[in-house]
Parts: sequence; structure tokens; C-alpha cells
Amino acid sequence: MTTDEIRELIQLVNESGIAELEVERAESRVRIRRTIQPERIEATVPYQPVAVANPAAPAPVAKAEADAAKLALVKSPIVGTFYECPSPGAPPFVAVGETVQPGKVLCIIESMKLMNEIEAEVAGVIESRLVANGQPVEYGEALFGIRPL
Amino acid sequence: MALDIASVRRALPGRRIEYFETVDTTMRVAAAVGQPGTIVVANEQTAGQGRHGHVWHSAPDEGLYVSIVLGRTMAACDLPPATLALGLATAEAIARVTDLGCDLRWPNDVMLEERKAAGILVQAGDAVVAGIGINANHAVFPETLAGEATSLRLATGQEVSREELLFELIRASDAFLAMLRVAGKRAIFDQFMRRSSYARGRRVQVARGNEWTHGVTEGLDGAGFLVVRRDDGARETIYTGGVRALSA
Repeated sequence: MTTDEIRELIQLVNESGIAELEVERAESRVRIRRTIQPERIEATVPYQPVAVANPAAPAPVAKAEADAAKLALVKSPIVGTFYECPSPGAPPFVAVGETVQPGKVLCIIESMKLMNEIEAEVAGVIESRLVANGQPVEYGEALFGIRPL
Repeated sequence: MALDIASVRRALPGRRIEYFETVDTTMRVAAAVGQPGTIVVANEQTAGQGRHGHVWHSAPDEGLYVSIVLGRTMAACDLPPATLALGLATAEAIARVTDLGCDLRWPNDVMLEERKAAGILVQAGDAVVAGIGINANHAVFPETLAGEATSLRLATGQEVSREELLFELIRASDAFLAMLRVAGKRAIFDQFMRRSSYARGRRVQVARGNEWTHGVTEGLDGAGFLVVRRDDGARETIYTGGVRALSA
């Protein structure tokens, strides 16, 4: 950890009002503890957004090898609960037999109360839905089978 | 009274703050703007969003209804830590303005005396947007919420400045999101466990579909999920369900 990084951490401890922060990296560990309440910091900090990653596997589409007709599987990018509709009682996002275009929302996976909309990556016909509404799903679990057009 | 947004803008020069007297939901506007760091605030929401289609009660002049654009996209595994970080930020902002010490109910409720005073919602759609609703100056709640909601005004006995609250919320959010980026998820989980009485050693029931799991909380796992030791002795990781305290 560089001194600049440590300085940044100290600043964050002050700005966030927390009492103590411990950060462990592979090669080092630093603990910052505040003993006195600092004066209110009047300066404002420039906004630094959370590191933006590539859209992490928003719906990895894998080819089902066994299926000679190349059924595309839409898999869950996250552990959570599968919902077929935007709110209780609303109609499902998609029905089996429906033709979808890339970007079409297929379902929601709720994880820690976060609603993750899962979109179609390919154009095709929804041939199967593999999980029930409200069912828990694992990372990488197949949700829909799409027959690409 | 409407929010004096000009005073908040003056205090945060250069920050993009969109303000509406009335809007359906700040979440929709923020997702449409998409520019990271943008703040969207409303004096009233006609269709405030809670989780999974629930409505966030958003009466005019009383609450603070804010959305923050976190980024264009984020890895799915980064969203839960952002929720926890913003819960910490909301509790800190409330503490700076009122001296009230909030509890945090995993994953996204900010509590005062076992009642909900604020809530966090993170959504990934056209952009990744966090919504923060704070019950600031409500004197009464609709009957359906009365047993489970409170406001800063009810807790302190006096009105709070929503402008000051917004200013502190933006600053604290920036700080905790920067902490997540610089110090990592574990630092956020660690802070959450320090602040939340629900995270460890709390007797809870957890909704899962139509079933209830009963047990005692044992902290957060490496991904930020809540671990519960069930009454039958098994350890269960809670991914979704609403957590409610049980009396011991």
C-alpha cells in the first residue's frame, strides 16, 4: 500500500464519520482509528463513482452442447430469487412461445433486495422457462431456453 | 414547504442536482440521465418505488426522496455492497443532522427504535441507480405504516432541515462509496456489522416465500449475505428475504 493510498483512507475515515477502518491487502494491513471527533469538514469531495466494471455477465448465453439445434440458455448472473413479473399480480415479462429481441427483459433476479433485470442477449423464441416464480436460483443457473432465430 | 434546492446547489458547486416539485419516481429520471454522480431529488413522488413493486410512501414536503446514479453499469456482485454502503451513509447523514443513532436492518432498512426511518433501493437497468427515501418531517403515517414507520421529526420532537439532510447525505454517500472502491467490500461489511444490531447475535425471523425461518444472526459472509443459525442447528445464508426481529 502506498502512502497516497493510506492518506486517502485516512481522509475517508474522517469524511464518513466511522471510528475505525481496517484494510487488508495481500501484502499489507492497515488499521486507522479515530480518537477524537474532528471538526466538521466543510470542504466537499469530488464525486468518485464506484468502480464501473464491464457489464458482468448480464445474462451469459451458453450453448447447450447436447442440443444439436443450439438452444441458447439464459443463465442467472447472481444468486437470488427469480421473479417472472415486475410486481406481484402483474403479467409475466415473457411467455413460452414468445419471440424476443436482444435487450428484452425476461425476468428479475432479486438479490439482497436488489432487482436485477435479466435481458435477452439473442433474438429468438422462448422455448422453455426452467425455474418457477419465486424460486431461489444459484449463480449460473439456467433460467430460460431460447431458440435463436 | 418546498425544498430550497438552491441552497444545496450552492453548497455543492459543480454537482449535477436535478430537482422536481412532483415526479412519478426519481429512480426513472436518474436512470434516464445516466451520468454517474447525478443526484435527482423530488419534493413529492406520485409513484415512489420500494422493492419489487412495493410503493414508497412519498408525501409532499415531508420526506427526502433522492436517487443517485452510481454508474452506467456495475458488476452484479458489486450491487449488494453498494446497498450496504448507502445504508451506512444514510445513518451517518441522519446522525450529523439530528444526533440520532440509527440501527441498520440487513440489507436496506435504516431503523430508529425498531421502526423504519429510511430505506435504500439499488436498481440496475439503463443505468445503476440507488434510491434513498428518508422519513424526515412526517408527523403522522397512514394507518398501514403507522406500526412500522417513524420519522426524524417523531424521533427528535422537532422538524429537521431537509436541505441540510440532503447535503450531508450526498457527502456521506460519496465517502462510503469511495470507501467501497478504495478499501473494498470487506471494509463495508465490517462497518455494517459494527453499526447494525441485526447483523450478529440477533434473534430474527426471515421470510422465504410463504415460509418463515427462525434463528440467530451470525454476521455477513464474504459476499455480504446474512448468515443465520437456524433453530434446528443448520446454518443458512439469507439471499433475499425480509428480516424481522423477534424478541429473545
